[in-house]
Amino acid sequence: MNQNHNIVATRNVSKTYHDNGVDVHAVRGIDLTIESGEFTAVVGPSGSGKTTFLNIISGLDTPTEGEVRLDGRDLSSMSGRELSDFRRDHIGFIFQAYNLIPVLRVEENVEYIMMLQGVPREERHRRVKEILDDVGLAGMADRLPTKLSGGQQQRVAIARAMVSRPRLILADEPTANLDSRTGADLLDMMRELNEKTGMTFLFSTHDRMIMKRARRVVTLRDGQIADDERRE
Amino acid sequence: MGFYWKLAWRNIFRNKRRTIIASVAIGIGLAALIYSDALIIGMKESLIRSTTSSFLGEAQIHREGYRLSRDAELTIRHSSALLEQLAQDKSVARFAPRTQAFGMLTSPANVNSVMLVGVDPERERHLSQFDDALRQGEWLRGEARDLVIGSKLAETLEVGLGDRVVMTVAQVKGGDLSQEMFRVSGVYHFGIRELDTGMALVPLSKAQQMLGIPDGIHEIAVRFHHLHDAENPDLGFWDRYSSNGNEAAGWPELMPEMKNVLELTDFSMYILALILAGVVVFGIINTLFMSMYERMFEFGVLRAVGTRAGGIRKLIVLEALALGLISVGLGALLGLGTTALMAHLGIDFRGIEMTGVHIQELIYPQLRTMQFIKYPAWVILFCSLVGLYPALVAGRMKIATAMRKSM
Repeated sequence: MNQNHNIVATRNVSKTYHDNGVDVHAVRGIDLTIESGEFTAVVGPSGSGKTTFLNIISGLDTPTEGEVRLDGRDLSSMSGRELSDFRRDHIGFIFQAYNLIPVLRVEENVEYIMMLQGVPREERHRRVKEILDDVGLAGMADRLPTKLSGGQQQRVAIARAMVSRPRLILADEPTANLDSRTGADLLDMMRELNEKTGMTFLFSTHDRMIMKRARRVVTLRDGQIADDERRE
Repeated sequence: MGFYWKLAWRNIFRNKRRTIIASVAIGIGLAALIYSDALIIGMKESLIRSTTSSFLGEAQIHREGYRLSRDAELTIRHSSALLEQLAQDKSVARFAPRTQAFGMLTSPANVNSVMLVGVDPERERHLSQFDDALRQGEWLRGEARDLVIGSKLAETLEVGLGDRVVMTVAQVKGGDLSQEMFRVSGVYHFGIRELDTGMALVPLSKAQQMLGIPDGIHEIAVRFHHLHDAENPDLGFWDRYSSNGNEAAGWPELMPEMKNVLELTDFSMYILALILAGVVVFGIINTLFMSMYERMFEFGVLRAVGTRAGGIRKLIVLEALALGLISVGLGALLGLGTTALMAHLGIDFRGIEMTGVHIQELIYPQLRTMQFIKYPAWVILFCSLVGLYPALVAGRMKIATAMRKSM
């Protein structure tokens, strides 16, 4: 773990798009620090810059200005290949639409990142079994994603994100496609995993359930931080 | 690689209908390539056989300089020993000695210049097809005054079976004229102008007597056990019989124009292969791009979770390879079935003149192992190379753009 325990540190991060000759300022001068083990929600109305900001934090997009440090490393100094490897080893992604690979079975989806990492087969299988137990999918390893409910698919996505033991989990509206009960169950599960493993969770969301369960809520408005509320 | 291969294979079957359509289209292209190659081989063999079996032979032995000058004095050296050697030669199936000289054939109605060919009736019957081409009468039976001529020559001279004709030739030594009366014992028709209008066949001994060259032979026509031996420059035959002032030559040397025609046929095959390769290329590009654009989001996700651009490129190339393998399987089966059927039935082009040769037999497409190695390998190579383009496009994508809404 980094000495100062900061997983994410952004300084004056801005992103401007050029759309038909018009400059669109999606993110403006954001300074934000996320510490290890946080369970934080980035909230805001549509178009407030949440998604752009998370894309920049994860290295999926580059800022027009400013600096992003992840686990102490400056993302702008990395090559494309280094960024890929860095994301693989340090960030777990949970998407709104689950985005599992439909032709791979549950077990194969979950072990995919470990395969990229070169984790030995037996170790992979042990960890897959363990994480599927943790997310309540024991016995479903051989199923295809299309044979699972939305909630089950999102559990697989959570298992995939966490199994390689990344420092940071980025979750983009993870409950948006789920009914409220399933969403609440999943959030409780993620909160438990956060407490159990110490992994950092960062959500982008509109969902009040997530806001209620988050220990910190960062509100964006017009690409800027409008509020940063910490709860104990 | 194993995991990407598994993923590629399964991805190919995500849209079964599209994969089947593309594979069938590519497979038909491959089958057409295999069939065309087999047909061209069959056609070439038929052309070669039609050319060589009527009279030429697959190879000939002459005295050095004879082919160019047609000088009747240039008879084959040590011909008796050579004939004995040919009888023992394992590569030789048939051979026939001949004398040849220009002469005049006269009937009560007309006169025509001809090539007087003295033949050993029994050996010639097995080597060339004069007896098969007879329309009237019989093949030479060894009677000294029998003469067989072509149908057009018979028309010109206005003679038929049993009619008398007079052959006049110059003797080899001294040039004195020698005349003999013959009876027309047979009339053949090949449909080949040179043979039907300008040749008169008589027994070898009679021709030798007229020319004043007892035991003299101008030409020995040879047929091998294997048709392609005549095209094999490494065959020991050429060295064995190109010595002591004699020379042996195969049909490609005897008929260079035919060799050129066949080379042109090979070139046509390459053009056809290129056209079919174009079909294959567009089939694969279309399928891969459709599949790729449908899955841009998915590629974005794969990249987001840590797959390197090279991994995505590898995946797409392997998908192209998988598509190629399926297509090759289908195409090879289709090609085998179609070609084997036609090779059994034969294609009837008889009576048609092709590149100056009268086709005399059914054309049978020829299956070769190489057709199922070379062309499928081409298709697989093409598939992989063509797959590189969408692979490069996908590898260069911006992750956030690919995912649109993205994270």
